[in-house]
Amino acid sequence: MPFDAEVTDVLIGGYMSSTAAHEDYEAVLNCGARLWGAVVVSRDLDGTLTVEHTDHMVEEGAGGLASVGFVVGLFAPPLLAATAIGAALGAVTGKALHQRTGSKIEEAAAETIPIGGAGLIVAYKHADAATVEPAVTRAVQKAVGEAEGHHVDALRGALADAQKKLTEGSG
Amino acid sequence: MSEPDRSRLPIRRETFAGVVGRTLDGSRPDWNLIEHPRPPDGAPNVLVVLIDDAGFGNPSTFGGPIRTPNYTRMAATGLRYNRFHVTALCSPTRAALLTGRNNHAVGFGSVGEFAGGFPGYSATLPRDCAPLPRILRDNGYSTAAFGKWHLTPDGQQGPAGPFDRWPNGWGFDYFYGILGGGSSQWDPCLAENQKIIGTPEEFYDEEHPYYFPDAMADRTIEWLHGVRAQDAHKPFFVYYSTGCSHAPHHVAKEWADRYKGQFDEGWERLREQTFARQKELGVIPADAELTPRDEAFPAWSDVPDNVKPFYARQMEVYAGYSENADHNVGRVIDAIDELDELDNTLILWIWGDNGASMEGSVTGSFNELTMQNGIPLTDEMQLQLAERYGGLDAWSTSLMAPHYGAAWAWAGNTPFKWGKQVGSHLGGTRNPLVAHWPARITDDGGLRTQFSHVIDVAPTILEAAGIPAPDTVDGIEQEPLHGTSFVASLSDGAAPEHRTQQYFETIGNRAMYKDGWWLAMKTERIPWLLTPEALAPYAPSAWDPDSGPVELYYLPDDFTQAKDLAAEHPEKVEELKELFWREAERYKVLPLLATLSTFFGMVPPLGGETSYEFRGDVQNVMPGMIPRIYNHSYTITADLVVPDGGAEGVIVAEADHLGGFTLYVKDGRLTHTYSMMGVFVFKQVADEDLPSGDVTVRMEFRADGAKPATGGDVALFIDDRQVGKGRMDHTVPVRFSGYSGMDIGRDNGGVVDRSYEREKPFAFTGTVRRVVFDIKPHLSGEDEQELHTAEQHGQAAHGLSA
Repeated sequence: MPFDAEVTDVLIGGYMSSTAAHEDYEAVLNCGARLWGAVVVSRDLDGTLTVEHTDHMVEEGAGGLASVGFVVGLFAPPLLAATAIGAALGAVTGKALHQRTGSKIEEAAAETIPIGGAGLIVAYKHADAATVEPAVTRAVQKAVGEAEGHHVDALRGALADAQKKLTEGSG
Repeated sequence: MSEPDRSRLPIRRETFAGVVGRTLDGSRPDWNLIEHPRPPDGAPNVLVVLIDDAGFGNPSTFGGPIRTPNYTRMAATGLRYNRFHVTALCSPTRAALLTGRNNHAVGFGSVGEFAGGFPGYSATLPRDCAPLPRILRDNGYSTAAFGKWHLTPDGQQGPAGPFDRWPNGWGFDYFYGILGGGSSQWDPCLAENQKIIGTPEEFYDEEHPYYFPDAMADRTIEWLHGVRAQDAHKPFFVYYSTGCSHAPHHVAKEWADRYKGQFDEGWERLREQTFARQKELGVIPADAELTPRDEAFPAWSDVPDNVKPFYARQMEVYAGYSENADHNVGRVIDAIDELDELDNTLILWIWGDNGASMEGSVTGSFNELTMQNGIPLTDEMQLQLAERYGGLDAWSTSLMAPHYGAAWAWAGNTPFKWGKQVGSHLGGTRNPLVAHWPARITDDGGLRTQFSHVIDVAPTILEAAGIPAPDTVDGIEQEPLHGTSFVASLSDGAAPEHRTQQYFETIGNRAMYKDGWWLAMKTERIPWLLTPEALAPYAPSAWDPDSGPVELYYLPDDFTQAKDLAAEHPEKVEELKELFWREAERYKVLPLLATLSTFFGMVPPLGGETSYEFRGDVQNVMPGMIPRIYNHSYTITADLVVPDGGAEGVIVAEADHLGGFTLYVKDGRLTHTYSMMGVFVFKQVADEDLPSGDVTVRMEFRADGAKPATGGDVALFIDDRQVGKGRMDHTVPVRFSGYSGMDIGRDNGGVVDRSYEREKPFAFTGTVRRVVFDIKPHLSGEDEQELHTAEQHGQAAHGLSA
């Protein structure tokens, strides 16, 4: 019974290594909560993309979750800038939300995942937040968005909220 | 041959004592004419070993955790000096060591990269301060230097010289090593004598890869054998200056693995263990106190458990790297022993040109240049970047350029406070010295406690050799040596103190020593912080050095600087303050903080060059000499000849995957890859094949604006037709590499784009006729000056870390 009438959370994590992203991916899969879906996308130093996601997410048509992309955030060298700005990695563009197939995931990610970087997106019931969120320990930046509603619309809303928080640096 | 006048160098040729007639009939030769100067009878061979960026509490010989069996065997049949001092920075110590004069007085108040506009900071040796190797060479020694040099200004490390700033110009007959302050140990860009020879061919041998420390020992031994093959008696002076233990910390995994698990209890525990061993060994007094942790260093208990293995590995690698240095010095000593010359070889082995380096900041780094480019990274980010490049097991490989965290350096400086750059405290300035000379030292395994300084080394060597410091060299009257010999202490443990007074200054951190009293005047800036906020209190209009905090110690009773007596002896504080100012004036230390002058608007003139042309056979352009593309729009244009059937390979490449750029052709496609210090990697590929024949390709970078680390758009062109594009969100603001060079037509050493790693150096299979860099000035002269200033800040930061 996907996307019941309750609050849906989407967590986005940004990583500088695929190792770290996969560690968190495995951690959320094994945290005990039922997930709507999870996807981890990484790009190695040769530029090759790897996408891994939970099967049930695709089956349930939550393709929107899996098709977001990532861009890197801003590093402003404190040596050179008047104000030291903390590292922000993983701000999500969300420009490819409407893609629904695996190949489209890769296409979108290819544009946005930096070489050597990785991203994780997890969707779950808000009621499970206390179980899921502590499992994500290695993201160098993360944000959680939420939205009320059903199905893909709720997912997109939560995703957009998370993206907004990341972009604003509140993640 | 009569004893020559050694007070004037070069030594004058003896007057012809033969007879010259109109023909050979009646003529008589004088064979002394073809003689060369010889040192006084009995002059010993001399081996000076200088380890880099290491602390008093590092080697096991002085109680540290790093096994140094060769250092210990020299100490067991020689002497340990436990009150020997250096300056708190690389080049200054080297300049003082090799000249016998205070570092500021010979132009090295700061490092070689940072040639400033004040006499004490010019990084240019005055001609009235002839250095030790020149004096020894002119007196008949064979002289050679191996390893790290760091006394040639950044912009003078190419074929145009000038070579009086290179090792040969300082009096070394032979040099093999690196001109800069630090280098990869796997693929260094080497210099030999007066030529940059680049990365050794063995780098490409996967079965027997090149390793600089091994090669240094090999080359030293080979040179010694060569000298002896020619002349069985001529004494030698070898200056063996390891790149170890400076970052990047590179060593084969098995060396690092010897220390697996040994640092899992953290840095405070390591200090306690080292301190206990130091007392057992007697290298510190029984009543010495272990100084406490400054809050600038985190407590080990506050380090998150998940990153503790990351930190522990940093120290394991450093320890293995350092043990390897001891091993290779041991090989050189063995070679001298095999020549049966160890008895009359004076070995002075200094473990550290300054205290251990805290320049890895709190976190340490997978790439030391990230800090120097001002990229803030947390320890979790550093760990993930290490994972990106192979994980902790690859920490010491060529995939990374690692530096450990500052707290490990603090532990390496046990029992003292602080470390490198902090000239006000013993953690930056007191390092182990072992002297070995069986012909003269009879107190095997003895300890010497005389207060000594690195400027005393040259006078000691000269006295040991029976050679006077010259009054004139090349007709130029010489500045007397500032050091005093400690030869007397070699044979007499009760020899009187030869040095009762010495100033110290590094980046504003000052000390004045006199008759056992030590006044410490440390700036409050944390050494690894160069942020505007950290520097603001030291602006010319803001800083009053006399109003800063002071600490006063009486070292005969307080070996570690644990008991501050400033409040009890205000008159001594004032006396030493005044003495410091007098010494500072005498030895060109002033103006204080000249090392940081670029941060306060005193930048060298803006260069006018905007176009740089390189023909196709130019290689190994040193990193401080590449076109200044940083923070600007620029183009790279290359004229190629592409044979029928196509070509592939590198057109131009700077540095490696940890920072650099490459323009190359692979699978028929023109490609540009740019590594922003290994943190971000950007790549653009042409969407059509490169044609054959005469072809002009171009990469254009259009910067977003006049700002450091600017992003911008990239476009690729073939014969003025755009064939590709892309975006680089961030660019390198200061410097791609501390040691890796730029090449035309290939990518020497570690490659920029690892997609052609297997084909390295991936030489271009067509012809690169020329490559032209055009730097596009920003429209506003104000912007240009602002960027220039920012870049100079970064260069200064890089220099301070070298």
